[in-house]
Amino acid sequence: MALINQNPEEYYLGPDGVWDSGDESYGNYQFVSIADIINNFMISHVGQDKLITKVRRTDVAYWAQRAIQEFSFDVLPQNKSIEIEVPPGLYMVLPQDYVNYTKLSWTDKGGIERIIYRTDLSSNPEAVTQNAAGEYTFANKKLILKAQSETLTRWNSGSSFPLGGPGGGNWDLTNNPDLLSLYAYGGRFGIDPENAQSNGTFYIDQVNGVIRFSSDIRGRIVTLKYISDGLGSLEDMTVHKFAMDAVVKHIAYSILSTRSNVQEYIVARFKKMASAARRNAKIRLSELKADLMSQVFRNQSKWIKH
Amino acid sequence: MAVSVDTVYQRVLAILNKEQRGYVTPQEFNLFANQAQLDIFEQYFYDINQFGRMPGNDTEFSDMLNILNEKINIFETNAAMTYGGVYWSTPANLYRLGTIVFDNITTSKSLYPVPNTVVTTTTQVEVERINYNEFLYINQSLLTKPTNSRPVFVASTLGYKVYGDAPLVIGVSCNYIKEPSQAAWAYQMVFGEALYNANESTDFELHPSEETELVIKILAFAGLVVKDIGMYQVASQISAQTNQQEKS
Repeated sequence: MALINQNPEEYYLGPDGVWDSGDESYGNYQFVSIADIINNFMISHVGQDKLITKVRRTDVAYWAQRAIQEFSFDVLPQNKSIEIEVPPGLYMVLPQDYVNYTKLSWTDKGGIERIIYRTDLSSNPEAVTQNAAGEYTFANKKLILKAQSETLTRWNSGSSFPLGGPGGGNWDLTNNPDLLSLYAYGGRFGIDPENAQSNGTFYIDQVNGVIRFSSDIRGRIVTLKYISDGLGSLEDMTVHKFAMDAVVKHIAYSILSTRSNVQEYIVARFKKMASAARRNAKIRLSELKADLMSQVFRNQSKWIKH
Repeated sequence: MAVSVDTVYQRVLAILNKEQRGYVTPQEFNLFANQAQLDIFEQYFYDINQFGRMPGNDTEFSDMLNILNEKINIFETNAAMTYGGVYWSTPANLYRLGTIVFDNITTSKSLYPVPNTVVTTTTQVEVERINYNEFLYINQSLLTKPTNSRPVFVASTLGYKVYGDAPLVIGVSCNYIKEPSQAAWAYQMVFGEALYNANESTDFELHPSEETELVIKILAFAGLVVKDIGMYQVASQISAQTNQQEKS
């Protein structure tokens, strides 16, 4: 039976019969669902005369989901993103299915995304309330914490738009003490490349689950590209066909390696197979196109003057 | 596809009566017949387990697993299970439970016959057996928690609890091996003699290839009854030889 189960009219118009109305599944042919992977695995790898003679489908489902999680982190392409306008509080709440970020950028007037870089030079620690003598204070046997740390207060102290408004110039250290690029500007011993950019900075406040921006990002349109673990919702539980073989081998290896009385050479064989398939999937999914590469390599003939 | 109870009885009598060894009454025969039938029937499951561990062969009629499956398939059937409020119960004639199946009903929208037509799809999914202690863990993990597309069941003496997104209360059936019917050689007395009554009799349900084995096993039992240890020994020996030949 062929894999396409919709006719062209159904595919392009969707159930409502209206072109591009949002209920279509454009591009879904490149993905395979986790349910299909589990069923195919049970058929192809489990049973009499096979290495795995018996296994619970629950176990297969568990390892399939773990595979999707692991693959989401470093094999499957990230396709999650969220765009917001940065509020006056200079923070962005982490998305519900956020695991880690891949890129944070603000969008300029031309729609170009300018990368915002992470900084390690600030944070939002828990601030303890102290009395006049500097001793910690307690309530109900617990430390009394301040609502907001002084570090964050000072980081956010660039509370008004700098001269020229968002996107404008005339930044200064009085109005915007958090702008690291200003500290780097004209440094006596040479500029610090880490701070030599004017797109702003951010750090992730893990305790509060938010991203905090420097004051030059206020009011800007910010896009967060991030990775999830692929298990947030049923719709997410799909794998690109390029990675299907790798997922299946990963499941087989996981089951065999956690099972008793399986000879170590078999485990090692499946480990190698899983590893090789994973590498192949990574290469396939890395979007290495010959024409794009040749365009990039044309750079090699450029003269660099010192 | 059955073994005639009359044929088996006549053969048993013929062999037993040779040299005036004795006689097996119809009542005794019926008891032995069912004992032999169950003995042969139960052995199928262990044989399948045994041959499942051996490499099979590609011959059309002589692969042991195929032969055994063919013998068991006669008893394989499926039926809806009945829900009694909390537990599901199996059909009355169940001998061995195979697969519990859940009819997972999902809805989607279709372009046909008119746009946005709601279409109901029923997919049959296997309900997986787990132990109760495993269920406690499986149910607590979001990765393994049962769903309607991946249901599980827990069996106890009270019946079967089937879990999907929630405990399932409809659409559960099972594939199972039914109990063989009780073979019975019925008769009517005509001029003081027991004459075979085909209408009242029940044949053996076993595969026709089991006819010889049935005769031998019944003879062995009969040998004990008529206190002919020789008969018992010969029958047992033949049975053992057959087994050895089939399984080596």
